[in-house]
Amino acid sequence: MNKFGFALTMAASLMGTTLMADVITATPGQAVNIVLLPKFLGILPFDQADRGAQEAAAELGNTGTYQYIGPTPENSAAGQIEMLTTATTQKQGVVMLSNNAGDQIAPTAEAAQAAGTKVVTWDSPIPSGKGESVFVAQVDFGSIGTVMADMVFDEAGGAGEFAVLSASPDAANQNAWIEAMKGVLASDAKYKDLKLVDVVYGNDQSEESYNRALGLVDKYPDLKVIMAPTTVGIVAAAKAMQDEKLCDKVKVSGLGLPAEMVSYTMNGCAPEFALWSFVDLGYLTYYTSYLLATGSIKGEIGEEFAAGRMGNFKIDEDPGRAGAKRVLMGPFTVYNKDNVEAASK
Amino acid sequence: MARLMTWEGLLALLFLATFAGNVVLAPEFLTLQNQINLFQLSIEKIIVALVMTLIIINAEIDLSVASVMGLSACTFGYLVTGGFPAAGAIVVCLAVGLVAGMINALLIARAGIPSLVVTLAMLIGFRGFARVLVKDQSMGDFPLWVTHLGQDALLGPLPLSLVLFLVFLAGLGILLHRTGFGRQIVVIGTNAEVARFSGLNVARVKTVLFLMSGFIAALAGLLYAARLGSVRGDAGTGFELDIITMVLLGGVSIFGGKGSMTGVVLSILIILNLRNGMALTNITGHIQTGVIGVLLIASVLIPNLTNDLRVRRAKA
Repeated sequence: MNKFGFALTMAASLMGTTLMADVITATPGQAVNIVLLPKFLGILPFDQADRGAQEAAAELGNTGTYQYIGPTPENSAAGQIEMLTTATTQKQGVVMLSNNAGDQIAPTAEAAQAAGTKVVTWDSPIPSGKGESVFVAQVDFGSIGTVMADMVFDEAGGAGEFAVLSASPDAANQNAWIEAMKGVLASDAKYKDLKLVDVVYGNDQSEESYNRALGLVDKYPDLKVIMAPTTVGIVAAAKAMQDEKLCDKVKVSGLGLPAEMVSYTMNGCAPEFALWSFVDLGYLTYYTSYLLATGSIKGEIGEEFAAGRMGNFKIDEDPGRAGAKRVLMGPFTVYNKDNVEAASK
Repeated sequence: MARLMTWEGLLALLFLATFAGNVVLAPEFLTLQNQINLFQLSIEKIIVALVMTLIIINAEIDLSVASVMGLSACTFGYLVTGGFPAAGAIVVCLAVGLVAGMINALLIARAGIPSLVVTLAMLIGFRGFARVLVKDQSMGDFPLWVTHLGQDALLGPLPLSLVLFLVFLAGLGILLHRTGFGRQIVVIGTNAEVARFSGLNVARVKTVLFLMSGFIAALAGLLYAARLGSVRGDAGTGFELDIITMVLLGGVSIFGGKGSMTGVVLSILIILNLRNGMALTNITGHIQTGVIGVLLIASVLIPNLTNDLRVRRAKA
C-alpha cells in the first residue's frame, strides 16, 4: 500500500500537474469506524457503492469497523435521521450519507458533528450544507444538466414535448440536475423547440414510477421523451413504454445502470442514457472519509489528496450550494446500443 | 402469579427483557443522550398513541391522525414560508386540528357513520390538502426559536416534546382511570346501546374524544416540523399504523371497553427499546419492521389462544 501511495505521488509529480508536497496521501492501518448510509437499501447502485467502499477499506487496511446499513424505501427520510442519530450515539468516526431527507437531516447532522462524528455526503448532499463535512459529487451538477438536455434533444429529434420523472421531491441531487437542465434549455437557442411540460416524482419506487410514467403519457398525448434522472425511474418508465407498446412514440432517457437498461436500449425504448460508476463513487467517498477522520485532511478548500487507484482530487467550493464544499469525481459515460452490451456484463 | 399472567404483567416482563438485552448488547444504550433520542425519534407517534388509546377503548378508531399531523405541519410550513409570523401560524395549525377533529366528530357522533369509514376518508382527504399546500416541495427556514423548541433540551435534559408527552400521559391517564368521563368512555366502548339507554350522552363523549385527537395530532405535527426543521407533503405518512400498533400491543381491545394506560405505556417502551436496540446493534430497517410485525401478531394471537385454552379447560 505504501508503495502504491508512493507510486501515485510519483505519478502525480511526473505528470507535473501539482507540486508533489501538496498532495496528501493516506496513512494506512489506522482505526476509523465508518458507516455507509445510502438513501435506502435494495437497489443496485448503492450496493455497488458498498463494493467500492469495501475495496478502499481493504486497501487502506482500516482496522476499524465498516457497516453498510440503510432504511427501507418507504421510511427513507425518517429512517436516515434515526440511523444518523444512532451512529452518533455509537460514536462512529464517519457516516457516509446519500441524503434523501433534504434539510430535514441538517439538525441531526450538526448534532453528529458536534459529538465528533463526521458526515461526508455522496451522491446526494445536504441542500444547505449544514452539518456536512464535504460532499463527494459524482459529477458536476451543472454539466449533467447539459447531458440531460442533449439526450432529450437527440431522442425528441430536436423538437417536442418532454417530461421529467424524478425520484423524491427532496432529493437534492435530482433537484439540482433538473434545475441545471432547465438552465441549459433556457440559455441555448438550440433547445428552443423542446418543451418541458411536467416534473413528476416516483419516489424511487418501481411501481409508483411505472404508474407516474403511464400517467404522463395519458396526460400529454404529444409527449416524445420521458427524462428520468434516476436509476429506478428510468427502468420503470422504459418498462411502462414497452408494456404499452409505446416505444415508437415515447422514448425514455436519463440516468440508468447498463445492466438494467441493456434490453431497453437494444429494443429502442431507451436508446440513450448516462451514468457514472457507483463503485468508484463509494471508493472515493471512503478515501475522503478516511483521510478526514484520521486528520490527514481538514476538509478545507484547496486541499488535494490521493485516492488510491483513482488518482488525485481536490476539495473546492460547491458551485451549486453557497458555502458548501465538494470533491468532484466525474466523468460519466453516455450509453447507447454501441457500448451498452459490453458495459452490462 | 395471577398478577403476572395479566397482559400488563407480560408486557412488563417483555419490557424488562428488552431493556436488559439492550444493556448487555449495546454499550451506548444507557447513556442519557441515547435514552432521550430513543423517545425523541418517535415522540410524535407516542404522543398521539395516548389519545388513540382513549378512542379505541371507546370502540372507535381514528385513522386520520397521521394525515392531520401532516396537514398541520404543512400548514405551518406554508404559512411561515409565506411570511406569516410563526407564533400565529402555530395557533392556526392547532385550530386546523380542532376543525379536522370536529369534522370527524360530526360525521361519526352526529351522522352515525362508522369511524373506520369516516377517518379512512379523512386520512386521504387531509393528506390531499397537505399536499396541495406544499406541492412537491420541502418548506423550511423556520425561525430559530421554533427549531430550538423542537430540538434542544428545555427542562433539564428533556426537550419540550418529551415534557408534553409526560404531561399528556398523566392528564389522559387520570382522565381515563380516575374520572367520570373516563368511566363513560369505557362503558360506551363496552356497549354503546346500553350506555345510551342508561342516559349517557354518547355523542358528546365521542365528540370530545375526536376533538382531542385532532388537536393533539395537530400539535404532534407542529413538533414534527420543529424537530426536523422543514416539512414536506408526506410528513408523517403511515404513522397511523405504528400508532395503532402501539395501542393494540398495549392490550387495548380493538372492540372497545378494555385497556389501560399502563399497558400502552409499557407497549410504547417495548417498541422504542426494541427499535433502539436493533439500531444500536446495526440491524437494518427491514428486519426491524419484521420483528415489530411478529410482535403484533403475537399480541393478537396469545390472548385469543389463552382464552381458548381456558374455555376448553372449563368444559373439561
